[in-house]
Amino acid sequence: MRKTGWEVSSGIESADVKEFQASDSGPAPRECPDDVVRPGKPPMGVRTLKAGLYIAVALCLVTALVHVVLVFLHVAPANPVSKRYSSQVNGWVYPLFEQNWRLFAPDPDSFNRNILARTAHTDPKGSVQVTPWFDLAAVDHSAVDHNVFPSHTSQNLLRRAWTSYVETHGGSDTARSERAVMLQTYLRNIAADRIAAHNKGRAFEFIQLRVITLPVAAPGTAAGTRQPAPTEDRLLPWWKVTSHGK
Amino acid sequence: MANEQLPQPPSTAATPHRPVVQEASIADMAHRWLHDLIGTLWSLLTDRPVSLYAASVLRIGYGLLYLVFLVREFPHRDEIWGPGSPWTPALAQQLFDQTGWNSILLLSDSRAYFELCYVMALLTSALFMLGWRTRAMSVLFAVVVTSFHARSIFMTDGGDNLILLMTLYLVLTACGRRWSLDARRERLRTARADNAPVPVRSFYAQQLQDARITLTTVVHNCGILVIAAQVCFLYGSAGLYKIQGPTWGGGTALHYALNLELFQPWPALSHLVDEYPMVIAIAGYLTVLLQVAFPFVLFGRLKYPVLTVLLGMHIGIAVLLGLPLFSGAMIVADAVFLPDRFYAFLPHLWRRATRRTGMRRPAPARAVGSASVPPQGRPVEPGSKHRAPAGQQGTAPG
Repeated sequence: MRKTGWEVSSGIESADVKEFQASDSGPAPRECPDDVVRPGKPPMGVRTLKAGLYIAVALCLVTALVHVVLVFLHVAPANPVSKRYSSQVNGWVYPLFEQNWRLFAPDPDSFNRNILARTAHTDPKGSVQVTPWFDLAAVDHSAVDHNVFPSHTSQNLLRRAWTSYVETHGGSDTARSERAVMLQTYLRNIAADRIAAHNKGRAFEFIQLRVITLPVAAPGTAAGTRQPAPTEDRLLPWWKVTSHGK
Repeated sequence: MANEQLPQPPSTAATPHRPVVQEASIADMAHRWLHDLIGTLWSLLTDRPVSLYAASVLRIGYGLLYLVFLVREFPHRDEIWGPGSPWTPALAQQLFDQTGWNSILLLSDSRAYFELCYVMALLTSALFMLGWRTRAMSVLFAVVVTSFHARSIFMTDGGDNLILLMTLYLVLTACGRRWSLDARRERLRTARADNAPVPVRSFYAQQLQDARITLTTVVHNCGILVIAAQVCFLYGSAGLYKIQGPTWGGGTALHYALNLELFQPWPALSHLVDEYPMVIAIAGYLTVLLQVAFPFVLFGRLKYPVLTVLLGMHIGIAVLLGLPLFSGAMIVADAVFLPDRFYAFLPHLWRRATRRTGMRRPAPARAVGSASVPPQGRPVEPGSKHRAPAGQQGTAPG
């Protein structure tokens, strides 16, 4: 489509090089934009091109500004404007531009969580064997210890699985939404995988989680004088595990 | 920003009570003012791509970060993104159906396909960082980062989120014009083409070419605008949300942050810092103040000390809280606010430093030729028309 006076005929290479040359020197060599309004009428094709260019430029600018405004409304706390335009904001921002910058805000977490798991296995004779509690979070804590670059699997996997579980379940352990069911499956898979990796292939059919939340002592309390009492000790129901330990 | 025409509105606003004769000239003045404004805006948008160095620093930074991230998580790749993840392909697909995400990783459940994707992701990150066929690579890199992010959405944190956003925005920018393989290739090509006759183009081809360059410039400038706004929103909202928290107000927030076992890679160090409540309080207040002030200091010289303190803060977070990826992403994002003249000055500084330490005594000519300095760092040959404007671009304020 673009006829040029270039002597080169080899395809991609030359096209690319041309683009680069043009772009690197930038549009500076052109005359000022006011040569556009010069009286002598340019040919029809050029005028169409210019009009198209103006529209494209305006479109770019408007899109950028709209994006900035919508992202602002998404990031800002709910307010009359963002409520009024919530469908537009969500339609634009989700999924790609979703963001949340409440890192350590409004307050950093003031607790550590121990997430424990135990499994149950029915042996051929019909008796049920229950294992002692195994601290899944302790695995993460020891993996983070003295690690310059802790893995997402230690810092985020279990932590976010649990917070997401709580977000969708609240205080009860019955899943009331599709998302809640998904997160329950996720949490169960994580626990089952970790137990399976820990107990070297011993079979189990059921798994149970227990989450103990320990507060971080307020500053000024001398270390060791007061062992923090758990603020929450949550025992989850037994879950059936299908794919593990067979 | 060149807005010399802006101070005009007060004069138009002050005139309404004048006699009717003035009406025409008021309209005239308003018209001229509007015309000037549009002209200024137009030239700001289309004259030249701004912050080319910063865009390249972002490209190198995020390409490198993602590469390091992928290498670091190599032993855990199956658990995070693979078919063996506790967030199974079926769960991920179910979530995609609800949220509209998508990922190339879900096209197949086979392990071999996943490994292939992983290798491709490593390669893409490396090539993007190096700036090889940058525009195409930026698109591919965005696809990779989006796919990996979406696949492991419940394992991501703020750092991953920022990398994803920046990756998407970088597609818009001309981030391969400086410090890249593309730039090197272009430099060699120009050097070769210098003695060759300038090719003649047809009138229409020239017009089309001009229009394309203008459009590329505009898209780039809009991309940089969006990136800058994004970073401001990040800091602004992070700061404003912190203000609502009593622990930040009470100066004890960092005490709690330092005592989270998951963010405590060096417990002894964390406890040592924790023993100085004054330091904790001052650092906490400084954090909030800087974050809230960030969008407002960017337009003056104050930004240099602020960016320096933020750099220190992020390094502190990286070490004390064990969040190097997050901190790295933030540091790279901050780099967008440094002007081109700052980056253009770096190679000089580097050369002077190396000369002083005597590391590179001989062969100064070779040093100039082989340094990764773009053409504008060198003196311009009198005959070359192409380079003169490029040289001005490189040193113009960003």
